[in-house]
Amino acid sequence: MLAKPFFDTDIAWCPGCGNHAILRTFDKAVEAAGLDRRRLVLVSGIGQAAKLPHYTKAHVFNGLHGRAVPAATGIKLANHELEVVITSGDGDMYGEGGNHFLHAIRRNIGVKAFVHNNQVYGLTKGQASPTSDLGFVTKLQVHGVYSQPFNPLAIAIAEECSFVARSFAGDMQHLQEMMVAALQHKGGFALLDILQPCPTYNHVNTFQWYKSRVRKVEESHDPYDRHRALDLALKWGDEIPIGIIYRCDRPTFESHYEVLRRGALVGQYEGNAQV
Amino acid sequence: MDLNIRIAGAAGQGIETTGDLLVELLAGQGIYCFSGQTYMSRIRGGLNWYDVRIADRELFSGREKADVLVALNEQALNWLKDDVSDGGVKLLNGSGRDDAICVEFEKVAKETGGSAIMANTVAAGAVLTVLGYGIAGLETHLRQRFARKGDEVVNANVNCARKGAELVAGHTGMLKGPAGNSAPPGICSGNEAVGLGAATAGVKFATGYPMTPSTGVLTFLAQVADRYGIVVEQAEDEIAAVNMICGATYAGVPAMTTTSGGGFALMVEGLALAGMLELPIFIFLGQRPGPATGLPTRTAQQDLLFALNAGHGESPRAIFAPGTPQQCYDLVRHGLALSHKYQTPVILLSDQFLADMRKNCAGLDESYRPVDRCLCLDPPEGYLRYAVTASGVSPRAVPGSHAFVVLDSDEHDEDGHITDHLATRVKMQDKRMRKLDGMVADIIPPEWQGPPDAEEVLVCWGSTYGPCREAIDTMNGDGRAVAMLHFQQVWPLDGAAISGLLGTGREIIAVECNQTGQFASLLRQVGALTDFGLIAKYDGLPFTAEEIVRRLVGQELAPATPRRSD
Repeated sequence: MLAKPFFDTDIAWCPGCGNHAILRTFDKAVEAAGLDRRRLVLVSGIGQAAKLPHYTKAHVFNGLHGRAVPAATGIKLANHELEVVITSGDGDMYGEGGNHFLHAIRRNIGVKAFVHNNQVYGLTKGQASPTSDLGFVTKLQVHGVYSQPFNPLAIAIAEECSFVARSFAGDMQHLQEMMVAALQHKGGFALLDILQPCPTYNHVNTFQWYKSRVRKVEESHDPYDRHRALDLALKWGDEIPIGIIYRCDRPTFESHYEVLRRGALVGQYEGNAQV
Repeated sequence: MDLNIRIAGAAGQGIETTGDLLVELLAGQGIYCFSGQTYMSRIRGGLNWYDVRIADRELFSGREKADVLVALNEQALNWLKDDVSDGGVKLLNGSGRDDAICVEFEKVAKETGGSAIMANTVAAGAVLTVLGYGIAGLETHLRQRFARKGDEVVNANVNCARKGAELVAGHTGMLKGPAGNSAPPGICSGNEAVGLGAATAGVKFATGYPMTPSTGVLTFLAQVADRYGIVVEQAEDEIAAVNMICGATYAGVPAMTTTSGGGFALMVEGLALAGMLELPIFIFLGQRPGPATGLPTRTAQQDLLFALNAGHGESPRAIFAPGTPQQCYDLVRHGLALSHKYQTPVILLSDQFLADMRKNCAGLDESYRPVDRCLCLDPPEGYLRYAVTASGVSPRAVPGSHAFVVLDSDEHDEDGHITDHLATRVKMQDKRMRKLDGMVADIIPPEWQGPPDAEEVLVCWGSTYGPCREAIDTMNGDGRAVAMLHFQQVWPLDGAAISGLLGTGREIIAVECNQTGQFASLLRQVGALTDFGLIAKYDGLPFTAEEIVRRLVGQELAPATPRRSD
């Protein structure tokens, strides 16, 4: 199942990579959410997930490894009328870009982060990622991973991230629902962690491994209940919850600036300063 | 007439408040002023001082000796009394010393004004009296300054000023201060001038991580943000700051970041990114002595070659180095416009000396006059962000337009999408570097001061402007023909043009606040000169004219490394 790009570009992903499903679902979600692609900016860093913007149709800022979040923050502040979506991987967002991840949530800047989380480094050929499970053996971590995996959802909830969700690349219908919900979230920073098999470098967390473990959160779950949300975020192993885990209402970062209430900064450039 | 007032004491004693009060008051009366600060990296204690130099002609630098020492504690008196000129005055905040005029500023302030916080007003009253100015001007200044706080505060301050004057009445006019009404009444620091230059030139987004001596620029922008419509945000780190301004400029908004050497080191990858994406980012780099944390509150010109070579790969950039607050203001505007014209990073090099120096300034224009962003606002069908052009500059559209604007840090084709095609790589690298041709044509030429036929030329850049100017004035006054050539643009350089200016047969002496003569080496690299002497200074303090004269006349030059004569 290979995704078909809008542009005449060779797709650099392996057959069976979860990214193909994520790309196809992304395009459907953009349509379903009714987004105007000319108002859509895709921001990415480096990694396999970060290549996604090249395979679809939108404005693209493909910057440095780990730095998608600050670039997206600058774009959103310069023109908050644009829809700014980050497509990133677990290494890009939680490793190299970890500090920016923490502070974007604090700011509650109105950008959406779709993090393709395959628990391994693909582009650099199979080293551990921040989300690799303990004991995960690679050519570099020869005795297995020693460090506790990074828990993006729990950290996001601890920081009162305004939208926290998880989905699975193997359930495209669920993934589309989550993407649309994130795209329609108007309340600031949205994190969507997407579990994604890597058939080339991760032979532990396979499609089947995820498939047999993911559990949709119950209809009755109240995402505004922070403690229940944290309980769900801390689950990993035999059962992995997917769905909208947490929401809260906080002012967006851009709403604090009086100058931005007059419209997008970029549109105010000529002669509009209050002097 | 040339007097230097030195206010010295521990951090937290109100040195800056007192210095600011004096320099603003005296400059406001049309007296030529130049002030500078010397401080240790601590919030409390230590020994800091603030010099306010006043004269009846324009001043460009500080002086080594003080004519009036205002010691806010005994340690300051003990450490600095030997640097008081013959016939100078020593005022001590204390009692019982017969080598100084003793006034207990804080005690008097508490008794007279009800709060020790007014000690600086008592001190100002005393200093002005010793200089024979009287305190009428100070009273007017205090009334205006504290008007909003009500009569009680105004009267308390005025009474403190009067008490300070009264307590030194026996020393009235011991030194004669220069007359006023000849200097332009404004006063501005280097950092204020950078901030105002940026705000008026159209910077709409500013970010940075606090770092001495650059923080003042970001603080200034935050203070005027509502007035000029600027979004100011403190970044979590310098990596975030530089990437944020890359994002903001991509989206069409002029943006800048402020930092010092250590923070700039973290921005290096982002600088290369802006080179690759062809973004007009603006970086204010306030230098201080390194390596590493170095001397955080001192001054240096050590990051020129670092700024020039920072970033992996090869991409064009322009670097400016103002020498006065006025040049700070003008160069921010010029640099910002140039960065947009060529879609390239611009770095403004300042340092602690320039950041903190305050000097008379004919009113800097506060009106908002945004520079041209040189945007392609209505991109045609088939628009290509990186279209290959003769100048190397491609029409720049912004996201939100009907043409998709695609940027990639990977090598990319004209449409912005990633490519591994090696012929395309060469084509795009050539296109980017071709922008340097236009930038060379737009170079700001260096400024020559002094006799055209001088046999000795001091070559300097950035903040060394002032000390060199006063040094050549002194030497020419003493009959030694010395000129100076000051560069406010330090990259790109036109080697042939500079070589023509310098001519042949002159002695070239580089004056730089670093150990290795970085700029002179660069001039040699571009073929502007072959051999040079070097007056190097890297003790963390700025040059004074006196030191330059002493070292030139005494031939205490450090050899350039490596010294060659080919």
